[in-house]
Amino acid sequence: MIEFVWLIPTLPLLTFILLTILRDKVNQTGSYMAICLTGMAFILSVLVFIQLIDAGTAVQEWEWITIGSIQISFGTLLNPLNGLMLILVAFISLLIHIYSLGYMERDQRMTTFFAYLSLFTAAMLGLVISPNLLQFYVFWELVGLGSFLLIGFYYYKNSAKNAAQKAFIMTRVGDMGLLIGLILLFWQTGSLQFEAIFSAITGGDVEGSMLTLIAILIFIGAIGKSGQFPLHTWLPDAMEGPTPVSALIHAATMVAAGVYLVAVMYPLYMASTTALMVVTVVGGFTAIYAASIGLVQNDIKQVLAYSTISQLGFMMLAMGTLGYTAGVFHLFTHAFFKALLFLAAGVVIHAIHTQNIKQMGGLHQRLKLTSITFAIGALAISGFPLFSGFFSKEEILSAVWADGQYGLWLVALVAAFLTSLYMFRLYFLVFHGESKQRLDQIGLVPKTMKIPMSILAVFSIFSGFFNTSWFGSYLGDWLIGDNQMLTNTHHGSSIGVMLIASIISIGGIILAYMIYVKKSFDQTSLQSSFSGTYKLLANKFFMDEFYHTSFVKGAKGVGKIFVYVERYGVGFLLAFIREMLTTLSKSGSKTQTGQTQTYAAVAFLGMVLFTAIYILKGGY
Amino acid sequence: MGTLSLLVFSPAIGILALLMTRNSDNNQRTHVLALLSSFIPLLLSIFVFALFQGGNQLEERVSWITFQVAERTLTLDYELAVDGFSVLLIILTTVVSLLAILSARWMVNKDLNLFFIFMLFLEIGTLGVFSAHNLILFFVFFEITLIPMFFLIGKWGGTDREEAAFRYIIYNGLGSMLLLLAIAVIFINVGNTNFSVVADFFSGGEQKRFQAGMAIALLLAFGVKLPIFPLHSWMVKVHVHAPPALVMIHAGVLLKIGAYGLIKFGVFFFPEGFEILAPVIAILGLINLLYGAFLAFRQTELRAVLAYSSISHMGLILLGVAALNEAGIQGAIFQAVSHGLISALFFLLVGILLVRTQTTHLKRLSGLARLTPLLAGYFLVAALAGLGLPGMSGFVSEFTVFLGIFKTMPVIGAIGTLGLIMTVVYFLRAILNMTFGSYRNTFGNLKDLRTEEVISATILLLCIIGIGIFPNSVALTIQQTLETILVGIGG
Amino acid sequence: MSTLPLQPFLILALILFCMGLFGALTKRNTIIVLVCIELMLNAVNLNLVAFSKYGAQPDITGQVFSLFSITIAAAEVAVGMAILIAWYRNKNSVNIDEVDELKD
Repeated sequence: MIEFVWLIPTLPLLTFILLTILRDKVNQTGSYMAICLTGMAFILSVLVFIQLIDAGTAVQEWEWITIGSIQISFGTLLNPLNGLMLILVAFISLLIHIYSLGYMERDQRMTTFFAYLSLFTAAMLGLVISPNLLQFYVFWELVGLGSFLLIGFYYYKNSAKNAAQKAFIMTRVGDMGLLIGLILLFWQTGSLQFEAIFSAITGGDVEGSMLTLIAILIFIGAIGKSGQFPLHTWLPDAMEGPTPVSALIHAATMVAAGVYLVAVMYPLYMASTTALMVVTVVGGFTAIYAASIGLVQNDIKQVLAYSTISQLGFMMLAMGTLGYTAGVFHLFTHAFFKALLFLAAGVVIHAIHTQNIKQMGGLHQRLKLTSITFAIGALAISGFPLFSGFFSKEEILSAVWADGQYGLWLVALVAAFLTSLYMFRLYFLVFHGESKQRLDQIGLVPKTMKIPMSILAVFSIFSGFFNTSWFGSYLGDWLIGDNQMLTNTHHGSSIGVMLIASIISIGGIILAYMIYVKKSFDQTSLQSSFSGTYKLLANKFFMDEFYHTSFVKGAKGVGKIFVYVERYGVGFLLAFIREMLTTLSKSGSKTQTGQTQTYAAVAFLGMVLFTAIYILKGGY
Repeated sequence: MGTLSLLVFSPAIGILALLMTRNSDNNQRTHVLALLSSFIPLLLSIFVFALFQGGNQLEERVSWITFQVAERTLTLDYELAVDGFSVLLIILTTVVSLLAILSARWMVNKDLNLFFIFMLFLEIGTLGVFSAHNLILFFVFFEITLIPMFFLIGKWGGTDREEAAFRYIIYNGLGSMLLLLAIAVIFINVGNTNFSVVADFFSGGEQKRFQAGMAIALLLAFGVKLPIFPLHSWMVKVHVHAPPALVMIHAGVLLKIGAYGLIKFGVFFFPEGFEILAPVIAILGLINLLYGAFLAFRQTELRAVLAYSSISHMGLILLGVAALNEAGIQGAIFQAVSHGLISALFFLLVGILLVRTQTTHLKRLSGLARLTPLLAGYFLVAALAGLGLPGMSGFVSEFTVFLGIFKTMPVIGAIGTLGLIMTVVYFLRAILNMTFGSYRNTFGNLKDLRTEEVISATILLLCIIGIGIFPNSVALTIQQTLETILVGIGG
Repeated sequence: MSTLPLQPFLILALILFCMGLFGALTKRNTIIVLVCIELMLNAVNLNLVAFSKYGAQPDITGQVFSLFSITIAAAEVAVGMAILIAWYRNKNSVNIDEVDELKD
């Protein structure tokens, strides 16, 4: 079975090709086909995973391009990390495909939607089984394409157009970092295969400062894709896409690819403390930065988007403080509960056709299941004891503590507190309190939407038990295995950290309850007393405006300078050539008198001249 | 007559057939006739390609002029031969010519017969340029391409067609003059203009100053064609005002003569000279890349965007040449082929769009995806190919070029990546402005692509994706050429 | 057969050629110019015949060549006169200075 792993990304790709060609001919059938093929991909990845448990790793390779004496190949690589990601991506993709059947029910371009979704799934599955950095980059860009197409799905909306454009460009900025990094790495180590790169690095073939530079460049790629500060502004805008897309791409899978990249290249980062420090600081800062913005947003998807950025920051923070397992573990659990939260939000948007939480409220009465699953997701992300997020977040905190980054540890605690605060602010505002809309118009939620949510809810509760200090760290042992390049730093979690994490989480929930349900504090007075801060947060620290005035205007300015160069510099050259030629030809034409006899005389004189030369030189 | 001569002069059959039906008003018949006759070179070129892949040396030689000057024999022969690089460009030429003729039916509104005659004439010149194995013969064919181009632009072009035609002929004439001087110098020194003989003669590589001088001359001569900043103003004019079907060939194939000449004569004959010049070429490439990208970002006319994007993409070829290692040169060759396909696709779409809307002004177009989803989709795909999305040919060439330049000049490479970012910016800005957003009903009921148009666009697209997924199909073909060139560089 | 030296023929041809050349370059009447061109041609013919008889390698080719040359000269005069007559009909003049229409 394991040799057919290439089939896993091929199946959704096939869906994409078929649906694109048969766009108008298949409607409902097309989406069923997409679900079937994705389902097959999922079953296949489960089978592969089962075999992988015994095999450990598996590699296949084909020649791709020959550049003189350089050979670069394509292929598939399965190792514990890849296997885990493969099954995770296939599983969530399948659930989202099923959910979309209900969500996109009335959309005319449903086939197109499923085609794009399949394209994305194919690219993402291809990404996680890449055996070399170039192939990784190829699929890395292709998932970007999938994301771009889906953000711009409602192409007639200008906001969707701008969001799609912004997402593509900003991730491209990061990608260039990755590209430079991988090329430099190639010339340093002579290969793009992960295996060869790591053995070259551990063998000390690469100079220290070069290593740091490469690690940071590759991390820039991760920053772009995972929406880390300062390249995060595209992610909230990406919420313009249909909600299932936000759940799949901009929460569970693609944005986590940045973290995954750091995990894949971990030996590189282990070799450079400076690079690790950069990862830590960026991650920690993003975690608290995004969490604080999430606190004041009024768009349900925006809140979730900022929470995603913040959680990704947590993962990066873990990665930077040698918490390899912690980071991947949080990536794993986050995929479930964040997808769940988005799907639940999708049901709400589907039901009342607005995204503004100020216009929601009391939805618990009509959308019972949704409310419960959303609550589960919110508890999980807040790190409520015994939910999945609790274990992974606790592990991150332990990793940061063990690494001795006490300042960042405090930052992480505050971010965790803010997380539970804004999540429950969202929950209470949407599902409790008075309703501001007529609720009786809300139709039934289709089964195709309910089932994925329920499954995800189950995973959100229990997926944490894969790696606990109580039952055993299955996940950690599986990931590290006997890999010498990664150190097994499972931090024996102290009861103290656990206790503090629980208190923080519950404290946030209680505070949210006090403010938004009990109304013990007046919201407006809070806003006015911190009006400066509120303004700063509501406007997302003016990052968009900053980029607009610096880079967009800057690029336009450079363009304008070049326009002038074109008009005057190059124009002058053109005028010069033209003048030169006209003058030359004018003076030439003056000799053309039309007098036959003059011409003949000149010809004769010329002949005389040549003869004279001939005679004087005495031959040739 | 050998296979290559047969290939080069095969469009003449079409010219004769069209001349015989010169007086007929039946456009349909003229079109079919031109189409059929452009199939002949296509089939022959596929045959040549197959022969070449089979390891046959396709060489032809007919003695032409020999004369003696002071104990030296100067020889000028009619010599044709192909290598991996030229065989690719020959295939590109025949495919793009066929597709241009296929789609020209709806884009040309006067004297279709004469238009096709000139197009076929142009094809003879282009095929000759790529199969010549002798500098003088190369030059003759090079000049032959200028003449039909001049008339095609001047007669069938847009509003400013005469200005465009004159700019074209003046700039290229000056370039030709330099080229002729360079060839004359080579001829006097070597006594022959056969490629292999010339390369052997200069392989000693002692006269550094002479080599550098020749390198500068060739850089200027082909720099006009490529074009290199600041010699590009003719090319923008031609892109904007020439008929789109012609620009398919012009941007797709004729601009590649510059790259072809630079690599095949420049680097191959005068490796030492180019080594001295490499930093200059790299900086010129960088300027092209960024200058083109930033200007493309400011244009409001789609065809001008594409023209500046061509300048920007040609910068990559220069960067690859400047790298002077296997990756760089291979990247440059890849870029030549890939950009040929992509710009042909783009101008095919521009032509299709022009027929429907009479304008390609970005401010007047919006929301095309609503009524013409296929056209919009192809535009988007072409833009994605142009901005170097993996899985398409553009990515392979960008990657190999940067792989090469980072080995020798990492700083220039790093600045160059800014150009890649700008490429995304200007392509998305232009294409999304047209296809996304709300549709303003200014053009009535736009019709989506007809079958012939879908076929042409799909053929080009399949080539682009094919090279992107299986780059070895191209890489292995040029392997031998690359090795020959690399021997000179000593890498 | 008495052997005449080559020089007298060449001198005669030179004189003829010079006269022809002078006339062709200075006369304003086109007919005279044409006549002068004929003179130059005849000088050449004389040379051809002389060389074919008294040259370093006497050969009949020279004489054959001169026959060709005479024929072509006749044809040329015919064309030249035809053009001249057409010109005269249009402009009523045979002045060569006025024939500069191709200038612009």
